[in-house]
Amino acid sequence: MATIHEEIDNWLAADLYGELSGEEQRELHTHLVECVACRKTHQEVKTMNKILQETLAQQKPDPAFEQRMLGGFRNRVPERSGLVKLLSDLMRLRAAQITAVAAVLLGLVQLGRVFTRETAIAPRTRGDYANEQLFRQRSPSGASEPGRLGVLAKSDELAAGKPQDLALPAPPPSSGTRSELDKGFKAFPATVAPAQTAQAETAAKETGTGVAAMNYAAKPSSVETPAPELANRKLIRNATAELEIVSFDDAVQKITAFANEEHGYVATTDSQKQANGKLRGQIVVKVLPENLDRFLQKIRGLGELKNQTLGTEDVTKAYFDKDARLKNARVMEQRLIDMLKTKTGKVSDLLQVEKQLGRVREDIEKMQGELKYWDSQVQFATVTISLAEKDMEEPAAFLIKERAQLSLYAPDVEKIYNDIKALASQKVQITNAQLNRDYSGRVSATMSMLIAPEESDGVMGRTKGFGRVENFQTQTERIAQGGSGMSENAKTKRDKVELNITISREEQEQALQQTSLRIRTSSVDEKAKELRALAEKQGGRVRSSTFNRDPDGRELANVWLRVPMKNYVSLMQSLNSLGKVENVSVQRQDRTGTQIDEANAPADISIQVYTQGNIVSHESGPLATLRRTLAQSAGAIMWSLRMIGVAIAFLAPWVIAIAAIVWVAKRVMRAKR
Amino acid sequence: MDASEREQYRAAIHGDREAFEMIIRTHSRTLFAIAYGILQSREEAEDVVQDSLVKAWKTRWRVRDPEKFPAWLATIARHRAHDLFRKRRAASVSDEATEATDSESPDTTAIDQQLHSALAALPELHRAALTLRYFEEMDYRTIESMLGLTNGALRGILGRALASMRKQLRPALASMD
Repeated sequence: MATIHEEIDNWLAADLYGELSGEEQRELHTHLVECVACRKTHQEVKTMNKILQETLAQQKPDPAFEQRMLGGFRNRVPERSGLVKLLSDLMRLRAAQITAVAAVLLGLVQLGRVFTRETAIAPRTRGDYANEQLFRQRSPSGASEPGRLGVLAKSDELAAGKPQDLALPAPPPSSGTRSELDKGFKAFPATVAPAQTAQAETAAKETGTGVAAMNYAAKPSSVETPAPELANRKLIRNATAELEIVSFDDAVQKITAFANEEHGYVATTDSQKQANGKLRGQIVVKVLPENLDRFLQKIRGLGELKNQTLGTEDVTKAYFDKDARLKNARVMEQRLIDMLKTKTGKVSDLLQVEKQLGRVREDIEKMQGELKYWDSQVQFATVTISLAEKDMEEPAAFLIKERAQLSLYAPDVEKIYNDIKALASQKVQITNAQLNRDYSGRVSATMSMLIAPEESDGVMGRTKGFGRVENFQTQTERIAQGGSGMSENAKTKRDKVELNITISREEQEQALQQTSLRIRTSSVDEKAKELRALAEKQGGRVRSSTFNRDPDGRELANVWLRVPMKNYVSLMQSLNSLGKVENVSVQRQDRTGTQIDEANAPADISIQVYTQGNIVSHESGPLATLRRTLAQSAGAIMWSLRMIGVAIAFLAPWVIAIAAIVWVAKRVMRAKR
Repeated sequence: MDASEREQYRAAIHGDREAFEMIIRTHSRTLFAIAYGILQSREEAEDVVQDSLVKAWKTRWRVRDPEKFPAWLATIARHRAHDLFRKRRAASVSDEATEATDSESPDTTAIDQQLHSALAALPELHRAALTLRYFEEMDYRTIESMLGLTNGALRGILGRALASMRKQLRPALASMD
């Protein structure tokens, strides 16, 4: 570490500016006492500091400096105004920044949705949630429902007439927010004090969903001890259940028994027998509403429950509206009757009164009917039970369908066509027969027939004998009837066999094997004739033949033959007797996936019979070689000339253009000078 | 740096004009000290401070960390002053003859003149550190952070600056004692 003496300037400066610690100050002073040179320096530094302070103090900015700077800044950076300022101010807020980012992200997401064509999921309304909750709370309609029991307990307390125990704050009179239902409830002139009703309402609201709770609050009237103010509600309860059972009749008997147990009755039953012997049906049962839950519980034991719904419709308001209107109508009726009794006024007036009375009575009857209907609906809950026996989908029977495809080659298509037509009988029905002849005289035929299953093998066998079978395919399909899947009891039936036949002429058939060869001989004409004779002997047919003689004396004969495969080998051997057999190439086309009668399949042979003529080349010897060389070099020179021409044609315009520019530039430069 | 200062710098960076004007009030003297240290001219230093403030406002978004805002301001001022200083020196070289007589102001005393020439002989950084010390009476740590120096570097710088000036002014000092 450097000594104080060596770094005296640093130490003195730090001392001057109050940057030395107490310890350091002591060290410095000790050194200054000891060292004369440093003491002198210290003196100089102190004097200089004084001068510096004095001199620089004059240079300090005046008090108005900040104001000047601010003024200058304001002048040079004018404050933004209006919308821009508002926006920039807004963007300074964290919340605004976050909102902006969120908005951009949301926009991007929506954009993405547009691109991917994904439909936006519609937000579910609060009503949906409420319904869902209602359904969830209700679906296990057993007795152990803590939530519901809680409500019930409250209702009971209400019924016992001690609403103060609920310790509820006095509900604000928010009649505006109350549902239509509540209004109806209030409108009904019950014997209960309105305050209590309001209490019940609040108690209901406390459980979460007002409507759901309302229904529960209404329920105890049927399940538990009926609360007086709730017993007057008109509720129609409906339930549906879908069951899969083993035996339909058993289930009907049991349901009837259950209905009797619960003081109900079976209203209607209907059943249908399916093709596979299974029964399906529907039973409508009426039970007392308070027994509905128990009844549903019981029928659940009958089989597998597929689906169950439970619904409650509150007709209180409509019911009492109608009731009031009925009362009014009765009063009106009485007054009209009174008017008739007094019999004052004109006859026409009386007639008018009579007419009016008739109308009023009609109304009364209609309303009475409706009220009665509602009464019956309210009195009994309706349970619709759909029953289906197990394995409803089991097939009743199987049908075996056979389809066959036959391709035939025959020398005479028409004959076979007629032969097959002659097969038609009661059990062999020809559904389609077509004989085609195209412009070049080629004949082909297609036929379709339906054959009774017992005849099918015989007919197919006979048809196959008519020609050479090129292809035969059968396809069997088992079709389940009246259901799907497997069944042990279903019967199996054979359907008619469908047979499709195509007949073509032999010539059109592609050869199974193609052979080409050359035979060199001295006399072509003679050998070609021999060849033909040989082919006839082996059951082959000459399809075409040509004969040529060129100026050099070469003779050439082409012969195409077709023989059945079984005779192919012997024919090939006999060809050796004709001359020297050369260039034999054999090409075989195996047709996979089809049945081939190989012995009779055709094989094509193409034979070229030729003589070697007197072949002398004109182009030989030193002179010819020289001439060829000269001709080639002349050609090469001509080719390079052409290439040079092309190059010049390509480059020349550029050269001319550049030269012109340079010339113009030079002229301009000279003109400037 | 306390929280309110930090918040002020942050607001200024995000474009709060009032916050920035507040910073002008509190910091322009510091900037002046730096500029004057380099340029040795009050008028030029004022211009530099003014320019630096405008430039700082326009490029305020470049500062990521509000803590570094004052140091960043100082850097702008230093660079501007340095640019101007270089320009002036280039100009003074070409017009040396005329400059020599002009600089002799009649009202400056001999010791002042000597002091100024001694200051002028110092490197820019040393001059800026000195003026910050004498104008604003800042402690070493603050000056270091303002001028972007490492901790403890200033001690040597100011020591050397004083030593060099002392040597130049020695005759004058001796006469004053």
